[in-house]
Amino acid sequence: MRVIEPWVAEPLHRFLSESSARLALLMTASGQVVAQHGFTRALDVMTASALGAAIVASTEELARQMGAGPFRALSHQGRAQGLFLSAFTVPRARWIVLVVYDSDSSLGLVQLFFDQLVRELQAAAPEGEAPRDVLAADFESDLNASLRSLFGR
Amino acid sequence: MPLVNFTTREITCKIVYYGPGRSGKTTNLQYIYGRVPEGRRGRMVSLATQSDRTLFFDFLPIDLGSISGFTTRFQLYTVPGQVYYNATRKLVLQGADGVVFVADSQARRYDDNLESLQNLQENLLAQGVDVRGLPLVYQYNKQDLPRDLILSHVELDDALNFRSVKSFGADCLHGHGVFETLKGISELVLKRLATGSPAA
Repeated sequence: MRVIEPWVAEPLHRFLSESSARLALLMTASGQVVAQHGFTRALDVMTASALGAAIVASTEELARQMGAGPFRALSHQGRAQGLFLSAFTVPRARWIVLVVYDSDSSLGLVQLFFDQLVRELQAAAPEGEAPRDVLAADFESDLNASLRSLFGR
Repeated sequence: MPLVNFTTREITCKIVYYGPGRSGKTTNLQYIYGRVPEGRRGRMVSLATQSDRTLFFDFLPIDLGSISGFTTRFQLYTVPGQVYYNATRKLVLQGADGVVFVADSQARRYDDNLESLQNLQENLLAQGVDVRGLPLVYQYNKQDLPRDLILSHVELDDALNFRSVKSFGADCLHGHGVFETLKGISELVLKRLATGSPAA
């Protein structure tokens, strides 16, 4: 499991062990990864996250245009695996969870422990802003070198 | 703001390529995808119509490597340029850390460029974002076409670049200007995270 903020780890770990889900991805509403379990490549996680956020955003917009309340969750049931997608609010942001489960679990189990996960995250979330100064003032030379190597220059 | 993981020292930024239909947004990403080594990029996802016009977005994650000790990744998105798809354009724009406005240099596309730029400002405002506070660069694509068909870099700056932000001439099909544009927007986005930056 990889998490951006340490306070997410414990509730997510509990959710995974109790629901027996295979993959889980927590992301912001704009598709930035907050935590993940089960993926092997960071860049694949980003793709799944972008697609998950897009599905939620388009579904919520469709609901808004239809005058329906926001959809609580989306689920897709495949032959061997199911997918559960839902948005929720923590004190600092609106997040989305994407869960993939197989025959070791079920949609009911995932939904049941998802509610508990949201409660635990809401209780654990800090209210304050994270520090914002990150990069050294002379970061440009690193950036230039990185981009040159990316483009083979 | 870009997402920063202080524990694993990772930064993730969302860059959106915006502009009128057929201006070259997808071509930018396709060129980048073709040039970046496989280990430093993810799959390029294109949600497109049967005729290969962007329906929802194109998406390409790239790994810039270590910058000031932080593993830095960019998520590159394009929006659908066609006027019809404004609802999906708005969704893709959500949470953007920086925008590349890809204009079509052809003189006959002048109005389309202006309309798309106005649309960008409206969609940002609807999300409570003032375009003046968002990292933005312009790319004037198709500068390789015959001179009598296109507007020059200076003419396009006069027509579109009201804030005098960085702008780049480009021929995305052959890659000219793609690297410079990505570098330009990367610097602006990361500057907001830099120590001592007024925006940080």
